[in-house]
Amino acid sequence: MTDRRQAVFTVDHGTASTAAALVATVGGRSRLLGAAAQPAGAPVEPLLAGLADDVVTHVPELAGRLADWQALARIESATRRPPAMLIVAPTENAATSLAWAARTSGWRVTGSHAAEASTVVAITEGLLDPDLETVMIGAADPPSVVERGPLADLLNMVVAALGRRRDWPEVVLAGGAVEAADRLEGADLIFAPQAAYRADVTRDPLRALLERLAAVHTDARDATALPDGRRALATATASLAGLLDRRVELVDVGASASTRVLADPQGIVGHVVRVDAALAPPEAIGDDAVADRVLAWSTIRADPASLRDRVRNLVVAPWRDAAGDGARLRLAAARAALSRLDDGWRLPERPDGAPPDYSADLLVVSGGAFAVAPAPAISLALVDTLRRPGAMALAFDHARVLAPIGALADEADRRQLLVDLLEDALTPLGSAIVATGVHAGRHRGSLKLTTTDGASDQVELVPGSVQLLDLPPGLVAAAELTTRDGAWLGVRSHHLAVEVAGGLGGLLVDTREIPLRLPDRPERRRDLLDAWQRPLWSGGDG
Amino acid sequence: MTMLADTLDAPVVAAASAIVEPTVRIRLGLGDRPLVTAGVHVRAGDPIAERLRDGGMAETRLGGIQEPEPGMLLEAGAPLGGKRRRVASPGRGRTIYVTPGGTLRSVVGRHQETVGAPAAGVVLDVQATAIVLRTDGIGYAGTLMTGDPTVGRLMVGVARPDDELPVAAIDVTGAGAIVVAGARIDVEALTRARAMGVRGVVVGGVVGRDLRSFAASEARQRAAIHASPAFALLVLDGFGKRPIPPGVWAALIEAEGREVGIAADPAMILLDAATAIAPIGRDRVRAAAGELTGRTGRLIEIVGRRRLPAGVMAVVGRVAFEAGGGQPPEERLVALADLERLAT
Repeated sequence: MTDRRQAVFTVDHGTASTAAALVATVGGRSRLLGAAAQPAGAPVEPLLAGLADDVVTHVPELAGRLADWQALARIESATRRPPAMLIVAPTENAATSLAWAARTSGWRVTGSHAAEASTVVAITEGLLDPDLETVMIGAADPPSVVERGPLADLLNMVVAALGRRRDWPEVVLAGGAVEAADRLEGADLIFAPQAAYRADVTRDPLRALLERLAAVHTDARDATALPDGRRALATATASLAGLLDRRVELVDVGASASTRVLADPQGIVGHVVRVDAALAPPEAIGDDAVADRVLAWSTIRADPASLRDRVRNLVVAPWRDAAGDGARLRLAAARAALSRLDDGWRLPERPDGAPPDYSADLLVVSGGAFAVAPAPAISLALVDTLRRPGAMALAFDHARVLAPIGALADEADRRQLLVDLLEDALTPLGSAIVATGVHAGRHRGSLKLTTTDGASDQVELVPGSVQLLDLPPGLVAAAELTTRDGAWLGVRSHHLAVEVAGGLGGLLVDTREIPLRLPDRPERRRDLLDAWQRPLWSGGDG
Repeated sequence: MTMLADTLDAPVVAAASAIVEPTVRIRLGLGDRPLVTAGVHVRAGDPIAERLRDGGMAETRLGGIQEPEPGMLLEAGAPLGGKRRRVASPGRGRTIYVTPGGTLRSVVGRHQETVGAPAAGVVLDVQATAIVLRTDGIGYAGTLMTGDPTVGRLMVGVARPDDELPVAAIDVTGAGAIVVAGARIDVEALTRARAMGVRGVVVGGVVGRDLRSFAASEARQRAAIHASPAFALLVLDGFGKRPIPPGVWAALIEAEGREVGIAADPAMILLDAATAIAPIGRDRVRAAAGELTGRTGRLIEIVGRRRLPAGVMAVVGRVAFEAGGGQPPEERLVALADLERLAT
């Protein structure tokens, strides 16, 4: 653990930006004294120097401790570009299952092909690509009758192509493809279980193996040997859940991949890293449909061709153009990424056979994409995309300290720093109540909010809408929902009471449907999104 | 204001700078034939590979003859083997593999074209699907490139880096040249350039829609019976209208009239080593985003965190912009993230 008498920098090196924070012991505990971020290409030392100077300006008594800022300890983590994998399988179904496992465990899938005459050239070109690091070949275990012929053909193709390379890539043989091991003696072979079709995000052994393999690849490529930021986030989430004795969920939207973690006090319940849920997928450059996935959440009025080019510029330089419409575009891209993270987020059934529990008491959001948005707009982006009934507290890892904290090797150190920094590092966005089943009519229901300081407020629920109630940071309130027809908040009842915490964004009450239904026509869709989002953007240039 | 007294240390990303002797790869298809070996020095435009046009997969029943090696070169009609039943090559190309049922799968085509070196340099490696070349000069990386690596004399078609090249300005004088087209080029100008024999276009930005229309036009061009010379579009800075970054612009002006190349992997303009650029002051910056995109000036002060449109908080700097784009000299506050430092 770092010397707590001293100050330390936390540095999170992302693929698009670098975030640093200065933590120092003040009044007997570690406090977050300042944080800043910059594009990833800029040198780090000036960022740290500026941070130390800023802190000294505001807290002159720390001048002595920060005079030699270069000598301060640093807790660092780094997020790298995910490794690349080519997937080949005897059938389309097998290829799809393997690709899903790879895409949700931190791999960039450069191609996913079934063995057919029409794919021979593409597969062989992929296998001969000088940049190929890993190829995965998979089939059912044992191969099904349908797979046997194409698998034998595929193996001939693979052996022929790899035999022409001077350097063999790593070969993952999954399921029935392990039979080919003796034909691939020159390769670095890894044996894996067969892929399960759209398995849950915890119990699939293939995903677990691929996660470990991705970690080995990313670590091997990084000369700095800094701990991997995405794994560190998962570790920090588990530490936070243990510390709070609550279920904690974290979503991190990054420029090259996004992460989702759910942890309870016993440990990690679910974890995915998805390259196709990156803030700005590189595929948007050549594929209008990928750019349009972002624009489906955009409220900016402009011609589609110009907007697609703005999305592409976000891929080229994610840090640029962050003000004005650029901030709205970023949040639209973050929504598209979050909805990809939600797609395929499947947890296992509970030990007693009950349906999976997707709930979280606290949802933490992280990533540079959210740095430019006001708190209520971030809250709405979360409930727009990660839709589930219930109440939860929302927080923002604004200084991106969770990944560096997760990079600490010792659980006691992590917990100590989290205890000290909890209030400083996690900006309370507020709470959200997502209630379905509230019907239009004479008796729509109401929500009564009674804060711990005794203040009380009551509003009438508006079905199919988003309502924002003022609930400042530091306050806790009892929210009572009363409906004549009953509302669904994970359980159905006419009268429901939940405890909610205040935050910069207040309390968001969402009575819209799950999943969210949006109009197909772009103009109507944009108008509806704008009606929900416009009141939440401060700073007002429209 | 922050205590960062020295704007030279401001956390601003560096603009693309010259890469000395850059290594580039010339990608090869399955049926292509390298014409060079590792260690050979090539001049710009020298043939380095033969590209198979309109290649397709062919299947040949081997009928029990000895299986050819994967990757073996094939000549049209040449015997593959067999005593009682002579098995002939399905065309000019290369073998891929033999199926378990004894069918040879190959990639063959009827037409070939020559691939030239995009710059002078030494062939470092010849791989199954790429030739690796360490070039002799310097290179500036672009955002993307579409087309084939090419070479030609450099012709600067615009007066300023933020100008646009009008369609009417492209004529036969551009034949064989790589044309610098300013901040943006549309699909009509690209198509005309192609028709006039221009070898390549270097541009600051391109509209995505035009890029795809051009790529479709290129695909049709390839499908034509007659081979046409390689043509490349190199985009230096991004999408939409984007002035050519000042450092690259200065190098392009310096290299005008000389032979230059465009590489695809990585996307890069390759210039002569003699292209000398005057040193640039470290406080010189360029606005790379927002309404001031393309304007250059001096970063004179880090102002600190300020509220920007839409309520966004960001660290801003005061920049003394020079006159440009019809605007007089002026001082403006700009988010540091939207700036690029010209010196590296």
